[in-house]
Amino acid sequence: MITKERIEAVLDRVRPFLHADGGDVVLVAIDGNSAEVRLTGVCAGCPSAHMTLHVGIETALRDEIPEFDTLRVA
Amino acid sequence: MDSLVVGKSAKMRAVFEFLRVIGNSDSTVLVTGESGTGKEVTATLIHQNSRRRHRPFVAVSCALFSETLIESELFGHERGAFTGAIKDRPGRFEMAEGGTIFLDDIDDVPLSMQVKLLRVLQNRTIERLGGTRTVPVNVRVIVGTKRDLKQLVTEGKFREDLYYRLNVLPVTLPPLRERPEDIPVLMEHFLTRYFRRRNEDVPAISEAVTQAFMRYTWPGNVRELENACERIAQTCSCGTVRVGCMSASILFRAGANPTPFDPAQVAPSVNQWPVPPMAPTETSMPTAVERTPTTLASPNPPTPIGVPVAISLDDRLREVEANLIKWALRSTGGNKSKAAALLKIKRSTLGDRINRCGLGRVDEGESAVLSSESGG
Repeated sequence: MITKERIEAVLDRVRPFLHADGGDVVLVAIDGNSAEVRLTGVCAGCPSAHMTLHVGIETALRDEIPEFDTLRVA
Repeated sequence: MDSLVVGKSAKMRAVFEFLRVIGNSDSTVLVTGESGTGKEVTATLIHQNSRRRHRPFVAVSCALFSETLIESELFGHERGAFTGAIKDRPGRFEMAEGGTIFLDDIDDVPLSMQVKLLRVLQNRTIERLGGTRTVPVNVRVIVGTKRDLKQLVTEGKFREDLYYRLNVLPVTLPPLRERPEDIPVLMEHFLTRYFRRRNEDVPAISEAVTQAFMRYTWPGNVRELENACERIAQTCSCGTVRVGCMSASILFRAGANPTPFDPAQVAPSVNQWPVPPMAPTETSMPTAVERTPTTLASPNPPTPIGVPVAISLDDRLREVEANLIKWALRSTGGNKSKAAALLKIKRSTLGDRINRCGLGRVDEGESAVLSSESGG
């Protein structure tokens, strides 16, 4: 079962990479085995950064939570 | 020379020195290096610094051709030598007459062909496939290999006599992971090249990007780094190269480097990771935000994903609280009453919590944060 705590724990691993350049990720919602996050900070509006961070965060979530399904980035 | 091959590390300087020394020689050079370390660039460099530089430089990858085709490719063929050979065709050796031939992936040459190569190197003559004429060739030979030829000789996969014939002037190109101090130099070199191609100046590069580049192990060596720089030049449009401009594989695998080196040893100015996010020269950087004091103070690199780390619950909760309050304030254009309603708390409680999270003093900067966030 995917819980907020499990997702946040993974996000915490990813955060230092984002923090280093003035960004962050906020967990917005969990829907079954999927989750929705929002990027904040300087890179939030950049399409390139959006893809980098979407791929990176989703990979981290799938690595650590095998049943994780889809990440949606708002 | 430095415009072609970039590096200030001791290992690369030693390579440069050696290349200078062998420039005017005609002896065979054996360039050994992992994929992407610059074997062909090195061969070009040797050619350009030799007295043969006004004659042809011909590069052939021996891995491209099947066992039957490689002989025709290197030595040429006469008309009628085989089905489809409708006219005479000179081989690469003849095309390189007076100049240099670079035979890359020499380790992929089949044993039967190795004998023929050995004869060519010994006699300096070739015979076209299907021909009877012996053609003298005046060609300097440079060969490249990814694998250690000596080891292949031990395994019986490479002829010992050919190895000794090739290994006259050995050049070993170090992988990028063994010369991390060259990474910033290479970054600057390639970013300049690719931004210039777009007729743009190189933008500021965030320290975090440089750090991520230095922590990554670059299995694809300089070629991979060049591609990463090209990607940045193609995608970065916000005036500063930030972590988001990199590919996820480099950014996130950078922290998983099993043997992180100490950047302090090579670059005194970049001895911390994560880098304190305050960038005083950048007015668009949000001053508020989404960062805990513990993160700021930590001199440690990001923990590799997959290794459990201690988490301060209080700090995390405060961070979540601060993020949600900031989200609510943004969503309501800074209206605290509406923000309080959005968070289902009283207006007075919101005021207390804003103060507790230390957000009060940045209220004024909130609009700047809002406007800067769309800049990416």
